[in-house]
Amino acid sequence: MLLFRSEGHITSWLAGREPGATIPVTKLAQLASAWWGDRLDPRWRPHAREQNQAILDSVGLTGPFWSLG
Amino acid sequence: MDPADIELRNATYRRFVQLGRAPTAGEVAGAIHRSEAEVREGWRRLHDAHALVLDSAGEIRMANPFSALATPFRVEAAGTSWYANCAWDAFGIGAALHVDSVIDTECADCHDPVRVQVRDGRPDDEDLLFHVLVPAVSWWQDIGFT
Repeated sequence: MLLFRSEGHITSWLAGREPGATIPVTKLAQLASAWWGDRLDPRWRPHAREQNQAILDSVGLTGPFWSLG
Repeated sequence: MDPADIELRNATYRRFVQLGRAPTAGEVAGAIHRSEAEVREGWRRLHDAHALVLDSAGEIRMANPFSALATPFRVEAAGTSWYANCAWDAFGIGAALHVDSVIDTECADCHDPVRVQVRDGRPDDEDLLFHVLVPAVSWWQDIGFT
């Protein structure tokens, strides 16, 4: 789960490996806000898989790669 | 999850935030008036529930998004700095604290320094890309690699 300056840098870093998924950093920021926003809340409770899947869905991360199982 | 384990988990996170590093079992034990052995037993249950991550010695390795180990993701927010486990977690620290943050990291390919200021949840450099190599279903198979 890394940051890159461009698609070219991702291709170089992969060095022939099968790519995973690439998203813009703006979407990553949205995802982080939704995923981690309650982490320090005293009322925090563990997220069910369905909750986490709904967070991914809410920022448009859908499909087999983003399926939590 | 048992309420006592949630209390332990929350106390561990509070101390991590306050200290800018992972707390020891003794530090958490003192904060919530439990024995160090009780803290370690509780940490093991929280580790098994993926609520935090212990290293092989039973010390805190991750209280996601915070990292006990030095990483290429350093985050400053609200006057304190922490290491994050990955790029996702780096954005997660400001999100968890609900404050603006500054992320000092690098392009994983060329290792050029990258500084991202996050204000009101938006990064100031919108051209950066985030790559996830491991499919979501496998993230916890090896969380360190993920």
